Amino acid sequence: MTRLLKSLRDGIGFDTMLIILALSYLFAFAGLPLLYNVIISFQQVDVFSLGTLFHPPAGFDNYVSVFTDPLARRVLINTIIFTLGSVALQFSLGFALALFFHQNFPGSTWLRGLFLAGWILPGLVVGVLWNWLLSGDFGVINHMLRSWGLIDSAIFWRSDTAWSLYAVMLANIWYGTPFNMILLSVGLAAIPNDLYEAAELDGANAWQRFWTITLPMMRSTIGAVLALGVIFTLQQFDLFAAITQGGPAGSSTVAQYWSWELSFREFDFGRGAVISVCMIIVVLFVSLIYVRSTRAETRL
Amino acid sequence: MSTAWTNRVLLLVGLVLAGIYLFPLYWMYVTSLKTNSSIFAVPPEFLPGAPQWQNYALIWEVANLPRFLWNSLVIATGVTAITAITGVGAAYVLARYRNAWVDVSLFLVLMLQVLPPSLMVTPIFVGFSWVGLLDYPRFAAVLAISAKTMPFFVILCRAAFMTVPRELEEAALVDGNSRAGAFFMIVLPLARNGILVAALLIFMQGFGEFVYSASLIADNRLHPASIGMTNFLQPNVVNWNAIMAYAATYVTPLIAIFVILQRQIVTGLTAGALK
Repeated sequence: MTRLLKSLRDGIGFDTMLIILALSYLFAFAGLPLLYNVIISFQQVDVFSLGTLFHPPAGFDNYVSVFTDPLARRVLINTIIFTLGSVALQFSLGFALALFFHQNFPGSTWLRGLFLAGWILPGLVVGVLWNWLLSGDFGVINHMLRSWGLIDSAIFWRSDTAWSLYAVMLANIWYGTPFNMILLSVGLAAIPNDLYEAAELDGANAWQRFWTITLPMMRSTIGAVLALGVIFTLQQFDLFAAITQGGPAGSSTVAQYWSWELSFREFDFGRGAVISVCMIIVVLFVSLIYVRSTRAETRL
Repeated sequence: MSTAWTNRVLLLVGLVLAGIYLFPLYWMYVTSLKTNSSIFAVPPEFLPGAPQWQNYALIWEVANLPRFLWNSLVIATGVTAITAITGVGAAYVLARYRNAWVDVSLFLVLMLQVLPPSLMVTPIFVGFSWVGLLDYPRFAAVLAISAKTMPFFVILCRAAFMTVPRELEEAALVDGNSRAGAFFMIVLPLARNGILVAALLIFMQGFGEFVYSASLIADNRLHPASIGMTNFLQPNVVNWNAIMAYAATYVTPLIAIFVILQRQIVTGLTAGALK
């Protein structure tokens, strides 16, 4: 007993205790729910059976009913459009800004930091801000687009089924761009300057230097940033709740929102869990790519 | 063109870009100071007329803002406490050693960082309602949110611990400190700044959290400010000045902290985010 106490205070037991504290917490509140999720996706869980650990078995009923739901196709397409569109634009805008601020003019670090003010805001507040900016009749964005002659009549961003998904996407791009920019700036700063000097001496122009030095040197950073972009976009929920609530008529519903809606609006937790299980598999797969590319970078 | 001129042009372009980017925040503050009719002016008024400060006084009373902000504060404090206490030691161990066990632990932490809250909340809700945790809704939300924030905290703190020279710790051990003593007296104080920045970021996340609170807390007297905001979002909202005053009251403290600690936050974030 005293040996154990001594080890906890002054030996390998100390480190083991520290790491087990965190891992057991994560196991209890992330690991167990992860497993439980799979179980309840095969059960019939409603408000009446909530108080028990095990619910009436449902076989594959939940899976069949989710995949044959008329909304399923729409949701799948929406999720893909939302994710790819958001990631592509966040990444390109973030990269362009990172390259711009990499010119290292006086004040560039400070100005670049200002962009993160968007990133630290609560997602729900960002959503409400954009809800107002994108308002149909009195929205300032419609006003600007009209006064620049880009549109003739107001776009009803939130209530037009053709635009609702893009309204949320616009907000998400604004929200995610600074984080992309900061991570890419770190990657840019890590490229040794003499590479550029050597290339310049050899007569390479800026365009050639970008393609032959910047991009290849940034490969693992870009991989990590893109993977993180997909991961964060698949986590996005608050913006949907604040701007369109998935509507109108499901036109802006994505998988992570649908799952929550089935569970907490229709109280059909079994079906909510089905989508949750499928999406978590996708997310974990993407994060494997992320972990691999960060490891390539830091050589753990 | 001389370097000085290039720099001036770049600075100007940078200012314009930042201005465009931060316009939504500007619009929030301007709208919050307008009258009920001037928010619907066509064309929109880009500068406020006489600032309507009473919008803030009104929203403070009518929307029960003190209660909502208090609940947000309770949740954010709880999340930060649990995350920091359970996460800081793990971050240290993960920074200090390199072996197969540490590799596996780090891998697990990185993988658990990515689980979307809106997907995890279904099993957590069903499990918590069986255990009876939903009778303590704010505590239940704190427990669930902490599991989400902890991996991020561990990764940021690990980067902070990696900057502490190992020799200092070994010197403390030679001088007769125990491992625990060296950790608390030497390593922890030296990594203090990085840990504080990480804790601050976690606090901000807890302060703005929505999904878990909205799903686990049924009693509206215990709702945080994020849920309080959704009460306004009826289909045909007209009081946008009130909503923006609410939003501004909610986020101005966060923006203030950010502006004051901008440099430390950006450094802490860039050191940890990709490693």
